[in-house]
Amino acid sequence: MPRRIAIQRSVMAADEKIAEKIRKDFSKRGVLMLNLIGSPGSGKTALLEGTLKDPVFRSVVLEGDVATSRDAERIARTGTPVVQINTRGGCHLEANLVEKALEDLEMEGVDVVFVENVGNLVCPAEFDLGEDYKVALCSVPEGPDKPLKYPHLFMKAEAVLLTKVDLLEHLDFDRNLFWKDVKELNPRAERLEVSALRGEGMAEWISVVERWIRAKRP
Amino acid sequence: MHELSLVGAVIESLEELARERGWKKVTKVTLKIGQMRQVIPEVMVFSFSVATEGTIMEGSSLEILEVPVTSRCLFCGEEWDGLSFICPRCGSDQIETASGMEMDLESVEVEE
Repeated sequence: MPRRIAIQRSVMAADEKIAEKIRKDFSKRGVLMLNLIGSPGSGKTALLEGTLKDPVFRSVVLEGDVATSRDAERIARTGTPVVQINTRGGCHLEANLVEKALEDLEMEGVDVVFVENVGNLVCPAEFDLGEDYKVALCSVPEGPDKPLKYPHLFMKAEAVLLTKVDLLEHLDFDRNLFWKDVKELNPRAERLEVSALRGEGMAEWISVVERWIRAKRP
Repeated sequence: MHELSLVGAVIESLEELARERGWKKVTKVTLKIGQMRQVIPEVMVFSFSVATEGTIMEGSSLEILEVPVTSRCLFCGEEWDGLSFICPRCGSDQIETASGMEMDLESVEVEE
């Protein structure tokens, strides 16, 4: 006869343990880790290119994609150390993949690890990588309804960035609706508008990252 | 979309437990999944039936206990069903999700 046995532990227990290990290690070293999440084409790589162009802090980048190393090549052109993670079909990054990729990076003197997650508003929000904060990106062409359609990400994000705001003048984007929904879902999140192309809002974004770095230093 | 990774994690941890505790076969697996976790039960069950082939879980049934979303006011302690961001009692916006985020391996039925 089969016997029922209670287990009561998280499905992702093994991965959560790795995430905790990463968090502890970076806490000791005083390194900030950010998990950038947004749709394909929301401007995650462009935001990083703009951030790393004239660096005011020392960064390394982990690039998550289903296939190709195109994003890593873009980041490498800024002179920033980068590792590409190909998930081969996987729709999100997991802590075990991040742990492996981090082995290939020299962490001495690094202030911040940017992790660019696989382009997707759903699954990446579900998996803890050991980051300090999730940063949610939504671009103007995607439309203002995304926060309410994908609430989980926007609720968990420490900062919400509306990207490609240089397109606002060309598109019928209800900016008030967008920010009203974000505020309702997550009143405590930083709210920023940026155009990586024109540089608008980039100084504010960089100063938020600098503030987080300072708070993380031992 | 991420159901298959979750199923993979369930299989991995049960295989480890089976080795430790000497289970010969797992006949039923029960998961507790919050409604905020963006999991589609039907996709989970299908992924499970495919991914367990050739393991000690092959042919076992997967039961999913869905946990509804509830919110709690951090200011006055009021709790209510569903997701909303203003407390219906005191009007505070300091709200946390009290349940609906679960993703737990609840129990198994095994042959020893």
